[in-house]
Amino acid sequence: MRTRPQATAGVALTLPVAVFFVVFWLVPFLAAIYLSFTDYEMAGTPNWIGLANYERMFADPGFLNSAWITVVYTVCTVVPTIVLALLVAVPLSKPGRLNRWLRALVMIPAVMPLAATSMVWVIIYSDRGLANTLLGLVGVEPQSWLTSSDLAIWALVVMVVWKSMGLFVIILTAGLQALPGEVYEAAAIDGSGAVTTFTRITIPLLRRTLLFVLVISVAGSMQAFVPAFLLTGGGPADATQVLPYYIWANAFPYEHMGYAAAMGMVLLVAMVIVSALQFGFLKGGDE
Amino acid sequence: MRILRAAWLIAAVGTMLLPVYVMLVVASAPDDTDLRGLVFNGFHLPDNIGVLFGEGNLPIYLRNSLILCVGTGLLDVIFSAAAGYAMAQLSFPGRRVLFALVVGTLALTPMVLVIPVFLIVKEFGWVNTFQGMMVPGMISAFGVFLVRQFALGIPKELLLAARVDGAGEFRIFARIAVPLLKPALITLFLVHFLAQWDNLLWPLIVANEQELWPLPVGLANFQSEVGVTYHLTTTAALVTAVPPFILMVALQRYYVAGLTFGGLKR
Repeated sequence: MRTRPQATAGVALTLPVAVFFVVFWLVPFLAAIYLSFTDYEMAGTPNWIGLANYERMFADPGFLNSAWITVVYTVCTVVPTIVLALLVAVPLSKPGRLNRWLRALVMIPAVMPLAATSMVWVIIYSDRGLANTLLGLVGVEPQSWLTSSDLAIWALVVMVVWKSMGLFVIILTAGLQALPGEVYEAAAIDGSGAVTTFTRITIPLLRRTLLFVLVISVAGSMQAFVPAFLLTGGGPADATQVLPYYIWANAFPYEHMGYAAAMGMVLLVAMVIVSALQFGFLKGGDE
Repeated sequence: MRILRAAWLIAAVGTMLLPVYVMLVVASAPDDTDLRGLVFNGFHLPDNIGVLFGEGNLPIYLRNSLILCVGTGLLDVIFSAAAGYAMAQLSFPGRRVLFALVVGTLALTPMVLVIPVFLIVKEFGWVNTFQGMMVPGMISAFGVFLVRQFALGIPKELLLAARVDGAGEFRIFARIAVPLLKPALITLFLVHFLAQWDNLLWPLIVANEQELWPLPVGLANFQSEVGVTYHLTTTAALVTAVPPFILMVALQRYYVAGLTFGGLKR
């Protein structure tokens, strides 16, 4: 039942949002598609060059290197984060005074701004920092974490795993606490062991929350710019130059806007495909 | 079994808190000779904060961050409340198209959009201005979507009764819907504030003048400002972490609600 006052109010209340999304999302998205087929360089006007940017990409060692680093970075941050977060969240979701305290404490690292934690990890990874101190205890030589092209990417990965873990522990704990308790009581009566209960009951019931965590985790890693920018500046020797960093560097310091837009489109398509796969994979079990 | 579980949890949470502890220790150090961050060497945190607020740009960065986050946070709450409510409860032309537009943007990565958005902002003459930093991020698809989902739960009879009583649609929105949406709006403000507080990419692109920098951009350039003084950099990082921490403590319930919104509800 559409009535006039409702229609007027509806349009009036949504108009600012509609204008905003057209100007700052829809138009830029279409513009990005267009720019990706041009040689636009900030100075001058865009010239249509067809698929040249896309062809150039697959012959550009910088792009291929960045794409590969993004794959490694994404897999190596997502998998350990989710596994570790589950290992903490399952016992943490049980009731009790200690757990209540610990659940509150977990929020502290989760809420810290990435910009601030990055500064702290620069200290931890410095020559005289905590990482080398701890290694010294087990008799390992000090390492140059952020300036070694072999280690830098793993230094980033460890920081990101630590940073995302707090967040995911909170989300998973909330998901676990929302599960029906009767199922667990029934399982206990049937004599189900801890491992069986976890794989047969907890994981399937938690599927929706796990899917959510997986999707935001993968999307977050695929478009992560800040850790590489703050900890290593993409270096040493491009060893931590993840794709978002390479896109940013091409677009802004170097002003190759057309080329950067084309790489952005490739990243977008990759992200859409990966999310679709995750939904298909985890929704497959839905009855 | 019980003890084992407690031991594991204490060890795990302790490890997660270790970098926070390191931050406190180094931020409280008198100088940067000891960077291990394990043992307090006096408590010089107030002195270090005094140094940072006495000289240098930290107070400016802090002010800019507050303007940015409170400003865009409130705008997001206002516009998302209006649009989310209308999309859930009113029938008007274009509702489906708008919903598709908002949900569609959730799939887009900022890396695709920053280039054209920068060109648009440049066209408006907004490079190096507060509106340039604020306007492109003032409404979030997340916010509109969150309010819409929440507003679907408002009982239709309530709105109908108000209409029968002769209340106008805007009055119904302001007097009935907004109070009912309050928890969602607080959650939205919190989520928006925290995300904007940590937004480095956009201000980095659009603001070249130090006068406009928010904290993340300021921190990124901090080494060049105070020289390589690790303890003061860490103090600045600590100052940056305080406002989100205070908000989280005050609004813990809403924080968890915001984080789990996508995972639990449908």
